[in-house]
Amino acid sequence: MLYPWHQADWARISSEFSRLPNAWLFTGMAGSGKLEFAEHLAQALLCDQPLADHGACGQCESCRWFGSGSHPDFRRLSPIIEGEEEGKEGKPTRKLAQIKIEAVREIIEFSQLSSHRHGQRVVLVEPAETLNPAAANALLKVLEEPPDDVLFLLVAHSPQRLLPTIKSRCRQYPLARPSHEMALAWLKSQGIARAEIELAHNGGAPLFNHDPALTALRDQFVAALAAPMLTGMLDMAELVDKQKLPLAVPLDWLAKWLHDLAGLSLACRLRYYPEHEDALSSLARRARLPELMRCQSAVTTLVPYGQHTLNVRLQLEALLMDYLKVFA
Amino acid sequence: MSYQVLARKWRPKRFADLVGQEHVVRALSNALGSERLHHAYLLTGTRGVGKTTIARILAKSLNCETGITAEPCGVCAACRQIDAGRYVDLLEIDAASNTGIDNIREVLENAQYAPTLGRFKVYIIDEVHMLSKSAFNAMLKTLEEPPAHVKFILATTDPQKVPVTVLSRCLQFSLRNMTPQQIAGYLAHVLEVEGVAYETPALSLLGRGASGSMRDALSLLDQAIAYGEGDVKEEGVRAMLGAVDCSYLFGLLRALADADGPLLIREAEQLAERGIGFDSALSEMAVLLQQISMAQIVPQAISPDEPEYDAIFALAGLMAPEDVQLYYQIAVHGRRDLALAPDEHAGFNMALIRMLAFHPLNQREPAPAAVRAQAPLAAHAAVAGREAMDQARAKLAQQVGGTRTPAATPRAQAAAALAGSNPAPAPVPAPEPEPEIEPEPAAALPLPAEAAPSIAAKGAEVADDDADGREGDVLPPDLPDYAMQDDDEIYISADELPQKPAAFDGNWLALVAEIGPRMGTVRMLAQNAVLKSWQGGALVLAVPESFRHLASRDYQDKLRTVLAEHFGHTLELSVTVEETGAETPAMRDARNRHELRQEARVVLENDPVVQQLVREFDATLLTDTIQPAQE
Ligand SMILES: [Zn+2]
Ligand SMILES: [Zn+2]
Repeated sequence: MLYPWHQADWARISSEFSRLPNAWLFTGMAGSGKLEFAEHLAQALLCDQPLADHGACGQCESCRWFGSGSHPDFRRLSPIIEGEEEGKEGKPTRKLAQIKIEAVREIIEFSQLSSHRHGQRVVLVEPAETLNPAAANALLKVLEEPPDDVLFLLVAHSPQRLLPTIKSRCRQYPLARPSHEMALAWLKSQGIARAEIELAHNGGAPLFNHDPALTALRDQFVAALAAPMLTGMLDMAELVDKQKLPLAVPLDWLAKWLHDLAGLSLACRLRYYPEHEDALSSLARRARLPELMRCQSAVTTLVPYGQHTLNVRLQLEALLMDYLKVFA
Repeated sequence: MSYQVLARKWRPKRFADLVGQEHVVRALSNALGSERLHHAYLLTGTRGVGKTTIARILAKSLNCETGITAEPCGVCAACRQIDAGRYVDLLEIDAASNTGIDNIREVLENAQYAPTLGRFKVYIIDEVHMLSKSAFNAMLKTLEEPPAHVKFILATTDPQKVPVTVLSRCLQFSLRNMTPQQIAGYLAHVLEVEGVAYETPALSLLGRGASGSMRDALSLLDQAIAYGEGDVKEEGVRAMLGAVDCSYLFGLLRALADADGPLLIREAEQLAERGIGFDSALSEMAVLLQQISMAQIVPQAISPDEPEYDAIFALAGLMAPEDVQLYYQIAVHGRRDLALAPDEHAGFNMALIRMLAFHPLNQREPAPAAVRAQAPLAAHAAVAGREAMDQARAKLAQQVGGTRTPAATPRAQAAAALAGSNPAPAPVPAPEPEPEIEPEPAAALPLPAEAAPSIAAKGAEVADDDADGREGDVLPPDLPDYAMQDDDEIYISADELPQKPAAFDGNWLALVAEIGPRMGTVRMLAQNAVLKSWQGGALVLAVPESFRHLASRDYQDKLRTVLAEHFGHTLELSVTVEETGAETPAMRDARNRHELRQEARVVLENDPVVQQLVREFDATLLTDTIQPAQE
């Protein structure tokens, strides 16, 4: 499918069909539908009877295969999320999701075979940042000199994390981000409750998970932040812990809150919690900047451990104590 | 087939078509001309400078039916088959996807058989740094006693990962990055042949954007042709590259200098709308701040030809030098933390807000610790006014990077103590033997005026504060304190004449300590680099990702010059970007300073006057504001 904010990009990309690169690298903000764009493109390139705008017909055999995820000339290279395993010192650790070299070797083999349908073949790599170093290196050769009928589509929202040797072999294309109005209209058309608030909370990115239970919990959490008191903080740490949420979730809420607090205090600007502007403004007047910066650093430090099986409650309590000190 | 990307279509087929690698071509041509051939070559250089291309041309040179030649005919069967990638005696192995020993063994077993058609069996092993250790060992045997009919051509972007035993058996050629001019010139040639209209300034932009790599340049050119719908125009290329317009950064910094927060954040929003990457914006900002700092300290170091000369000096007059230093560090750290922020926009905003927070106008209150200092102690320790502010800033600056291991033990204990007032105490992960925290009498610590909702809160405040007190001045090992060194000492130039040149003994720390003060701007690179290897007169330095900008050609050239002046002869030097974890001179200095601070703290804590002040005036010793005197 094509999101409304990608129409212009589609026109441009489809005008490049006569000069196909070996590989396109699509970049852009997370949650703006880059993957869907790449899939749309893949299906169109494979389609037997493309439409006038070069889009896929949705009817032909190729489109049906694509729709059922079994197209023989299409491959998807995505990370496999591994379960928890015993790490060093017997502590359970969770491995990061990554694309490994074995998967890339399969892709190399795939590209060396001939096309099932005597047409284009497409390999989608998403997100490309998750290629581990061995996998990324293994991809270089085939990316640079793929067989004539093979096209790679890479999707990344942090292209600076890709190997320069990978980027060097791709035609980069930054996909548009939706305007606020467009994103809002789209969310409303999807029947999303509190579209405005949710859009702000997601930094203007219209694609996010809708989980009413989680939203309710967030509201509670944020209400506690708005009235910083020890008991409230402890309750929140306990509550989040009981829900078995990974630390990453409250970290995200808190990081955004601190961003808005600091933003209001120094720049009269907030981004994620417009519905709490009043509470944030009055907190901003009481906030001590050094403590606020310290608390923000503490959050940042924990982010890499967001999916780690740390004691969530303990970490969160420590953080929220830092937060209380902002107003001490 | 329909369309071939320019990077592939324009891959040179003859040495004469190569750009920028004359030194390698000359050496190879001489060797081919006189038939003094080595059995193994190693081609190194960054991406897209011609390693694989040279390897393939060399394979033709060796097997061309007209004889061994630097100018293979290009028309004989051997040449044509090599160009088409299907010559039976050329084996091109991708080490990155065939890392294992089995792949290599299989290939090498074939090496003993004579070539089928050609003079030589040529093995091109690309991305050779990716081979496993056992695969390297297997290759070593063949490299030691190669059959006369075998030639190896290894290529890699990362020769540091190739074992010395392998390196020493190869004739090594380092390919150079291409200059923006060389690239622009070549692109003009390509476009003329392709019949694509272009504007010359657009090619200059592409030349710069390619950072030395011809493949990057040709990939960008492909993109530019698509973007410009057939034309390559300056405006289009500028937009396509998302080049951070300098004027834009100047706007940001002016807003910062004026402490105009709303404007600053609006400018950041503009940046997002224009599709400029926050990552590149922060790195460009760091570069600009560096120039401003230079303008403040060694104005003559800024060339009058610098296009932004006036703007740089205007900003240099608007900001205090120590603020510029701090902003620079915040930009560097902010860039590293972008990936950790809720989104990059937030990360960028936070970096700007941090800068604002340190702006003199926003020092509306001294750091809270300083507030707690009672007057007598403040007087005694000369911690007052602006000075306290500076120290508070220095302290805050340490938090800029703010890396802390999760739940450092004292903190965890404090939290555990806190949880004690709760029905279900949280378990402390990985408990380490640690002295018990003695709760101090509450009177010793002024309680916060407002936020003391319960007795439990008071207890928590005390316990937590105490833990912080202990933790606060014990820098966690990974706190990037080294990055917060006073960079202005970088510019101090010693009057004394250089010492008598001695040969480099491999001790990088000692060398930098010795000649660092005379290094000028390039000291920044020297201070933040570790010596990765040192052999045969060639130095390999590594800088961490956050100092990537220091690995630039410009810095490398300057460092080469400085070292040549010191030693009286030229050293070969290269700088890679990687996290080695080893101690850089800057880290060493930071560690030394930290140890000095610790010593100073012990001295102060044991000082009878201080002890009396604490006892009789309820004073608190601000342990983390202590600075050793000789700094
Ligand atoms: Zn179709
Ligand atoms: Zn020939």
